Amino acid sequence: MDILIVEDARDQRMILSVALKKQGHRVFEASDGYEALNVLESHPGIRIVISDWMMPNMDGMELCEAIRKSHIEYYVYFMLLTGISDREAMVEGINRGADDFINKPLDFDELGARLNAGIRIIELKAALEHKIQTIEKDLESAAETQARLLSEPAKIQNVDFNWYFKPSRILGGDMFGYQALDGETLGFYQLDVAGHGIPSALFSFSLNNTLREDGGGSLLKESFSEPPFYRVKEPDEVLMSLNEQFQAKPESMLYFTIAYGLINSRTGSVTFSQAGHPPSLWLKSGSKSVEKITCSGVPVGMMPAMTYENITIQLQPGDRLFLYSDGVTECANNIGEMFGEQRLVSSLENTFDHTIEAMISRVEQDIINWTGADVFEDDVTYLVLEWQP
Amino acid sequence: MPFESKIEAGHTIVSIDETRLDASLSEPVRAYLFDQIDNGSDNLIIDLSQVRFMDSSGLGALVAALKKMGGTGSMKLAGAQPAVTDLFSLTSMDKLFAILPTVTEAIEEK
Repeated sequence: MDILIVEDARDQRMILSVALKKQGHRVFEASDGYEALNVLESHPGIRIVISDWMMPNMDGMELCEAIRKSHIEYYVYFMLLTGISDREAMVEGINRGADDFINKPLDFDELGARLNAGIRIIELKAALEHKIQTIEKDLESAAETQARLLSEPAKIQNVDFNWYFKPSRILGGDMFGYQALDGETLGFYQLDVAGHGIPSALFSFSLNNTLREDGGGSLLKESFSEPPFYRVKEPDEVLMSLNEQFQAKPESMLYFTIAYGLINSRTGSVTFSQAGHPPSLWLKSGSKSVEKITCSGVPVGMMPAMTYENITIQLQPGDRLFLYSDGVTECANNIGEMFGEQRLVSSLENTFDHTIEAMISRVEQDIINWTGADVFEDDVTYLVLEWQP
Repeated sequence: MPFESKIEAGHTIVSIDETRLDASLSEPVRAYLFDQIDNGSDNLIIDLSQVRFMDSSGLGALVAALKKMGGTGSMKLAGAQPAVTDLFSLTSMDKLFAILPTVTEAIEEK
């Protein structure tokens, strides 16, 4: 262990230094607090400081406080040498950041035992930090995996898709996607798994997979042996199947809210179903107005045998749909007031002459201006599509 | 404990004495409701009149208790404030629970 001895009396310093070297430690020396800070700065391996209390320039207690306030990221175990054996001084010292006390004159057996106690604490802390680093690395690589699962902004058959996604703490439980189901039908969804962190993220990964159309027997299509060989399932059927497949356990209650829709890229007709998700918004380019698509339903996974409703709307060229998770409207400002649906609608009303990209950053900016920070408490996700035949 | 329960006219009435039923409280609420159910309460009324905000985790805790009862007994929600009522209507909770304006009405409701 690298140990720094801080002591103004040269003979005392030497005695201590020799004793510690004999025990196998690497020893550094300083004669007052200022010098000690310099030694610590240039030798970041030092984890234990044994310091006299009474010293000229900067005394032991001031040194201890300076270390606690400094930018040093690792923990320095601080032992104070004192001739004062009064209780009050010891309480004061501990309150100001010291870890242990050694009475002068020194008893070397006691010193060795107390040093070992300090080393145990330092090693525990190092082991803990190592574990935290491993977990953080895992979380980061999971977040990268998640980012790879997200669909790229794309134009598919007359329909432009783009989005904004910001998980609350590295990993989120929000997910979205869009894809062609045949030559004129596109499916799209945005979902929000309750809670956030690892369990929600893992669940959202698996849902992303389930909602991907890859030809085989899928949740999104029914196949037949005769022409036309398949039928694209209606949104309410898809939500019902999801609900049967993903019933949450009472102990964990991993359930999710979702908006799922089909758009006919030739006609602009959209059929839509929602399960406990915030109402998606319809941005009508002709009247420059924003309309809520209200259709409620029990979130997926809460109770078996739920039914859902379909809503059909007819888009006009240039119309957009805005699907979002409640993290958008539940963003709170510094006095706890939420951004809310009305502010979101107002924000969107100002974006009719914006490109999709500009609209996405406008909404982001309005949310950031509201919260006063760009770190959000919940996942913030929105998916935008525009029909432009 | 931010919750308390009392028995009235054959109902176990659980009051949530917090203004936010969110991720930080949902696990204790769930555990508390499970204890009530394990101890034989099969007519639960949850008094939400103090709750001004509920998120998806809080909602999950209430539904978890309903799932745990598994169709035996009943669970009613009472006294929801506007923001909570909005969440209930968005998520169609009236399909799962009887939702009443007050505890008294919840007791009387058959």
